[in-house]
Amino acid sequence: MRASELIGRDVIDRAGCPIGVVTDLRCVQDGPLRGGTATPRLDALLVSPRHTGAMLGYHRPAQHGPWLIRVIVERLHRRARLVPWSAVVAHDPQILLDVTADTLRPLHQ
Amino acid sequence: MSEPAGRVLYLHLQLLDRQVVDPDGEPVCKVDDLELDLDDEGRPYVTAILIGPRALGPRLGGRIGRWVTAIAARLSEKEAETSATQRLDFGLVTEIDSAITVSRPVDELDVRPLERWVDDHVIARIPGSRHASE
Repeated sequence: MRASELIGRDVIDRAGCPIGVVTDLRCVQDGPLRGGTATPRLDALLVSPRHTGAMLGYHRPAQHGPWLIRVIVERLHRRARLVPWSAVVAHDPQILLDVTADTLRPLHQ
Repeated sequence: MSEPAGRVLYLHLQLLDRQVVDPDGEPVCKVDDLELDLDDEGRPYVTAILIGPRALGPRLGGRIGRWVTAIAARLSEKEAETSATQRLDFGLVTEIDSAITVSRPVDELDVRPLERWVDDHVIARIPGSRHASE
């Protein structure tokens, strides 16, 4: 599997409602060791109803300013959500979740 | 959902299209895609950096993506290269920052087949390219 195969893929919740597309893959560097380094392991999918994936890094807590751009990006992606990988029951050809969209907290809150 | 413990990486933002450099800072390649495998818990983890047009083509998609992939296959010298995508094992990665550093020098990594093809098929045919004066 390739990262690009997951990015851009449609995400459907348990009720069959589309909640957006995958715009990024959040990983934690705690995967199996390779060459003495822990590999990045998928932790959550960043899902946005907008196909434009450019959140300019404002989905990261460390990214604060410039505030005007942050406000615009957060407004455009106000319905973006982080979906834990544990909620994914299938990922090909669509990503199917075992939770409904209303149980997923919006990214910007 | 809160930020997890441990170093967090956003693959699209922080890895895809980043420059890969060797220990001396020499450019090696760009990250065109990432190969994922499933661990025992069924969670994908990164196993390799995929490089070259055969990694980039499918990512671009559409007609342009197919052209990029087909041209790369046409330019490949070895039959094995036509189907295989070039990869750098993630075990070679020593640092992930604004660039991704790998542990081996660029000369030891066979990552420039297009440059090699141009060298053999174009540059080599230019009179004087073989240092004839020496």
